[in-house]
Amino acid sequence: MRILLVEDDDLLGEGLVAFLRCEGHVVDWARSVAAANVRLGEVFDAWLVDWQLPDSSGLDWLRQRRADGDTTATIMLTARDRLPDRLKGLDSGADDYLVKPFAPEELAARLRAVCRRSAGAATQRVQVGPRPAGIEVDLGARCAFVSGLRAELTGREWAVLEALTLRAGRIVSKGELEQLVLGFESELSSNALEVHVSNLRRKLGHDVLATVRGLGYRVSTST
Amino acid sequence: MKAQASIRGGVLRSQLVWSLLGGLALAGALWLSVQSEVDELLDDSLSSAAELLIGPMLESLPPPSSRPADGRTLPREAGPRFIWQLVRHDSVASVLAGASGAPGRPLVSTPAAGFTDVPGWRVYGRALGLDGRMLYVAQSHQERAEVKLETITTVLLAGLPLLALGLLWSNLRLRQELQPLQALSSRLATFDPLQPGASLGRTNCTELQPVHAAVDALVARLAQRITLERAFSAHAAHALRTPLAGIEVQLAVAQREAPAPLQPRLQRVRAAASRLQHVVVALLAMFRSGAKIERQAIDLGALAAGLAVQGLQLRLQPGAPLAGDADLVSAALINLLDNAQRHGAQVVTLSAPRPGWLRVQDDGSGVAPERRHALQAALAAQDYESATGLGLMLADLVARAHGGRLLLPAEPGAGFTAVLDLGAAGEFSSLPTHA
Repeated sequence: MRILLVEDDDLLGEGLVAFLRCEGHVVDWARSVAAANVRLGEVFDAWLVDWQLPDSSGLDWLRQRRADGDTTATIMLTARDRLPDRLKGLDSGADDYLVKPFAPEELAARLRAVCRRSAGAATQRVQVGPRPAGIEVDLGARCAFVSGLRAELTGREWAVLEALTLRAGRIVSKGELEQLVLGFESELSSNALEVHVSNLRRKLGHDVLATVRGLGYRVSTST
Repeated sequence: MKAQASIRGGVLRSQLVWSLLGGLALAGALWLSVQSEVDELLDDSLSSAAELLIGPMLESLPPPSSRPADGRTLPREAGPRFIWQLVRHDSVASVLAGASGAPGRPLVSTPAAGFTDVPGWRVYGRALGLDGRMLYVAQSHQERAEVKLETITTVLLAGLPLLALGLLWSNLRLRQELQPLQALSSRLATFDPLQPGASLGRTNCTELQPVHAAVDALVARLAQRITLERAFSAHAAHALRTPLAGIEVQLAVAQREAPAPLQPRLQRVRAAASRLQHVVVALLAMFRSGAKIERQAIDLGALAAGLAVQGLQLRLQPGAPLAGDADLVSAALINLLDNAQRHGAQVVTLSAPRPGWLRVQDDGSGVAPERRHALQAALAAQDYESATGLGLMLADLVARAHGGRLLLPAEPGAGFTAVLDLGAAGEFSSLPTHA
């Protein structure tokens, strides 16, 4: 998943970037609302937003994004633990609310949950590809199964599969997929995505990932 | 303990006492007044009767030289309690005539004009000419006493119901007059001074206006202080929670990146950081004004799982059900476990001997009985500065937040025992403040 982290604290921000990258996510870090606004045109699976930022309120920023029609899954990260604050955060458009301090493993699990819900998947195990040869994608365990056997995927290959699975049924353009999977590296390696898609097809089956000529890629869900 | 005072009860008691005293004084005054006034009235009636009798007597009586009349020809208006006698006073007084029921001998042996008291009678004498004849009209003392008693009884019988009605009426009025006070009490019972713009407002009752004004002023000061405390709390929370989150995340990353030999050390540091988080979070909650505890069923096993302390073995004896704010109870236990470790404990037993009680018993060096008594006394008085450390203070505040206390019972054997009394299940308490 590609995640935009909006957090001004260096210790926490740097740690979260490192942790989430360890988890296989692509993470962009903005230290202020102004820096986050620069990324508004880009595609993200989720936003992690601190409430109290140096130049403005993260909550107000999120409220404005929602007013603009942006539905990107969002988790508020904040030190405010009072019930009225939690209610305010959720009512302002956050999909989840995590009070500092938190275990990063819990944040990762909540990220998976909000993205899964955002994609309309009720469970963390999703069948993709045409029946009966479909593969099973476990969004929680971050792995795929082919005929019940676990496929060995690299981090980037998983990221491609996850990005398409979370957008199952719709065409994801190459540029969008590059942003989601490669982040800022997408500008540097123009054919990296094709390599990952090719590897995925080899490991999972050629008909799991469909190429829509001139438009992008698509996977379909069976459940 | 002094009984609670009731304004209405006090006023009614005062009214009753003063009514009784007033009634007695009134009855006394009435008695004295009746004594003299009724006497005077009766005397007037005696003299009037004499005047009435004397006219017909002068016309019907024989001349002074004739024989004494036997009284049969004379009018007999009066009854046995009101008599008259016509007496001649010569060398010996003799009755010329008299009313039926009047004694045969003269009421008065020597001529006595005006009022005279003789045994049993009040007599009024009036001379009939100058020949020694006297008309005596008399009324029995018994009759006069009865008249006085009847008069007083009648007055009192008329006055007592009035007094009772007066008391009832004043009780009713008092109840009506106290209604604004009762309304104020009811309003204060549900009044939340922490709500924005909280105010009792004005009242139509003049006497209560100062109370309303004082409460509103108090609320304003309280609200200002709460606002400041909340602002401070929010800033303090941000300043403490964010670095803690950073430490936690950095440690998680370090655990993933570090080689295997460093993993146990990192795991210990992360566990300690986690305990520190619990303590800080609990402290923040504890000192936040107006905070409420979040009571829920506590699973002792799950609670103990988050309390791992290196070198300290935890044993569980769940027993009775426990309910409380898990975060606060965890923070209290962390401090008690740290205390146990500092006192050389190897094993700590967590048990729930009765509902709402969480007992923490260690096998450390413990404290002398005198020291334990001093600690318990300090906790009871919330004198945290003199005797107790942060651990016992925090544990006691957590217990008090639940409506209970931290108890330090004497237990057989070595070690130290503390009992977190978390109060009755189902009760919700505000976090306590301390001096």
